[in-house]
Amino acid sequence: MECTSKQQMKTLIAVSIIALVALALIPQIVHAQLAQQTSAKQYINLRAEVWNEFFRMTTAAFTVGAIVSGTMIWLVWRFRESNPKNKAPTKWEHMDDPTAGSYEEEGH
Amino acid sequence: MVLELQKPRPVWQIMFSTHHTDVGYLYLVFGITFLFMGGVLAMIIRTHLFFPGQGVLVSDSATFNRIFTVHGLTMLFLFALPVANGIGNILVPIMVRYKDMAYPKLNAIAFWMNPVGAALLWLGFADTTWVSYAPYSIIRAPGPAADMFIFGMKILGISSILSSINFVVTIVKCKHPDLPLRRVPLFAWSMLTVSLMTIVAMPTYASALIMMLTDRLGLSGFFNPFAGGDPIAYLHLFWFTFHPEVYIFLLPAIGMMYEIIPRFSRKPLYSQASGVFAFVMLGIIGFASWGHHMYSTGMDFTTKVVFMIGTLAAVPASGMHVFNFLATMWGGRIRFAAPMKFAVGGIALFFSAGAGGVLNSAMPLDFISHGTYWVVGHMHLFLIGTIGFGFVGMIYYMFPYVTGRMYSEKWASAHFVLMFWGTVQTFFTQHLLGLEGMPRRVYDYPTEFTSWTQLNQISTIGAWMIGASFAIFLASLIYYSAKGKEANMDDPWGIGGKYYYPVAAKNPHGGHSGY
Amino acid sequence: MGHDTAEWVFVAIVIAVLCYVGVDSWIVQKAVEDVPADAEVIKVTGQQWYWSFEHADGTKEISTLHVKKGHAYKFEIYSRDVMHSFNIPDWVVFEDAVPGHTNHAWFAPDQAGTYPIQCREYCGLLHYNMRGSLVVEDDKS
Repeated sequence: MECTSKQQMKTLIAVSIIALVALALIPQIVHAQLAQQTSAKQYINLRAEVWNEFFRMTTAAFTVGAIVSGTMIWLVWRFRESNPKNKAPTKWEHMDDPTAGSYEEEGH
Repeated sequence: MVLELQKPRPVWQIMFSTHHTDVGYLYLVFGITFLFMGGVLAMIIRTHLFFPGQGVLVSDSATFNRIFTVHGLTMLFLFALPVANGIGNILVPIMVRYKDMAYPKLNAIAFWMNPVGAALLWLGFADTTWVSYAPYSIIRAPGPAADMFIFGMKILGISSILSSINFVVTIVKCKHPDLPLRRVPLFAWSMLTVSLMTIVAMPTYASALIMMLTDRLGLSGFFNPFAGGDPIAYLHLFWFTFHPEVYIFLLPAIGMMYEIIPRFSRKPLYSQASGVFAFVMLGIIGFASWGHHMYSTGMDFTTKVVFMIGTLAAVPASGMHVFNFLATMWGGRIRFAAPMKFAVGGIALFFSAGAGGVLNSAMPLDFISHGTYWVVGHMHLFLIGTIGFGFVGMIYYMFPYVTGRMYSEKWASAHFVLMFWGTVQTFFTQHLLGLEGMPRRVYDYPTEFTSWTQLNQISTIGAWMIGASFAIFLASLIYYSAKGKEANMDDPWGIGGKYYYPVAAKNPHGGHSGY
Repeated sequence: MGHDTAEWVFVAIVIAVLCYVGVDSWIVQKAVEDVPADAEVIKVTGQQWYWSFEHADGTKEISTLHVKKGHAYKFEIYSRDVMHSFNIPDWVVFEDAVPGHTNHAWFAPDQAGTYPIQCREYCGLLHYNMRGSLVVEDDKS
């Protein structure tokens, strides 16, 4: 019983690997055959490639930018001195010099 | 720090002094003077480009080319470097608890080479552009301007090597024995990093300048293709120095933000270790990316990939600085006095400039951006947005300690708002101009592309706002240093806590109880 | 050491974004640097302050370049004096003209029309006016 289940598992793994390889390869083969059928005068569209790259990069940059600047605007709004939530002095202000040293020395 | 305006000394006592604060003063006065001289040139450039066609303000392209060349040289070598050196001179010995710089006379000599170099650059008024690419600078650039440029840059280069040696020895060898190097404040770390970078990078350019000079004299043909040389060699030597130089301009401003942000957040720095780590990383990786200025010179694919990876590798370290700043502000109780406003504005623009830099390093985008106004916008976002904001913030921060008086917070706010808005309007617009293909360093642009005219006009209006903001800056620097309210020297902004800096200021050779 | 973790997570995200940028631009650059084998060679020469062109059949043109829609063209870029940069912004054609070197760029226009050609590297007095035009004509043959 144990043996057959192992066998089954092996088969399952082998079949799925073959299926995955086939899935990965078939579109490429089909694509290559289709490409051969079309005329040799199909060039890649250089400007479209480059501009698409530009827009992908810009999307990434603006996404990260939105997160960073959003965090920053929230920080400025939340931790400004005049925010009512910030009336009480922070724990660091009781120290002799709150700005000397860093977290590392205070055993955080 | 000696309070000059309360206890005036004759000016030659400062000029011939070798004391680090006096030399620091000289650097600051020199740098701020050239900030305004370079700023006037910038205003001329932008105003000229407001209308396409033959300008009223600048009547020929020869003059225009000279103006933008000297504007670039002035802002980089006569404003950014001297101001960083000035603030470094004043603060670094105090931060490492030493009585002066390691070599006071060398320090004064390094400063006094600057006016000589500045005179050569301004009297020559070269038209080579600040990069002075061979072979234009060799076979076509009119002398004596180009020769004066070579000697001027040579002298400024030697000066910056000398002051770098001084900083390295002061920080590494003369710091107080009780102060381990890793505990040295981050501004001093930034000066240490940029000094080491200068010592490694600058000799390359210095030798390239000599080669350029002998090429111009016809004695050699290193970069002259008509004498068997190769202009690409000049580009490599130039960018090997000047890509690291970008970090040399930038890191002191980051160091200044490290001074300002914890103080006005009333909080310890988030992590000293990560700041030090990021400085050292930038100092090393800064040397791995010079080739990204040269993608289009016929570089092969593999070389491009190497330099793209080198460029991208510098980004995490810059990101660590931003993270450190934001994490320091988190949970603090922030007083938005002028220095803090400028520091926070600087971080925001630093991020935008950095994101643009990542896009620049992507190889295919070079087709779109290289040599266009995109690059102008990008590098000005760094130079004004980060370096300018950091320096201006630091100047406001040091104002009460230097003059014993307070600047006007109201006028400083006006300065900040105008400068921030103006920077965004001018340089974001220039990115768009670049995407539309407008080349940089042009005297005139065609009118058939109507959006070029509109975008240029938007950009120029932004530049006028920056100009106005700096007029406010100059007026308040002068007025409030003479007529401002007396500052409370223990705590000028009333944010509590002790300050190592004013304590030392009152007693320059004494103890430093604060740090 | 909770705050270290936050920073490392942040750095990891940054590195992931950078890897994406690097890989993506590698793929695109590889694709666009591949010049089609049947591209027709046009010799481009930059000098202060105009562009001249020589077609494969020996036809020479100054400042205005005529090409046919649907063909691929490979530019061989030379300079006769200082550095220039051959640029057709609308077609993302851009490469420096360096004296002593031969550089390459290519494009395959698929749209007829007239497009500006310009110099994108500072080359002296009339750099701003070193402009030409590209005329893409319909291929009637």
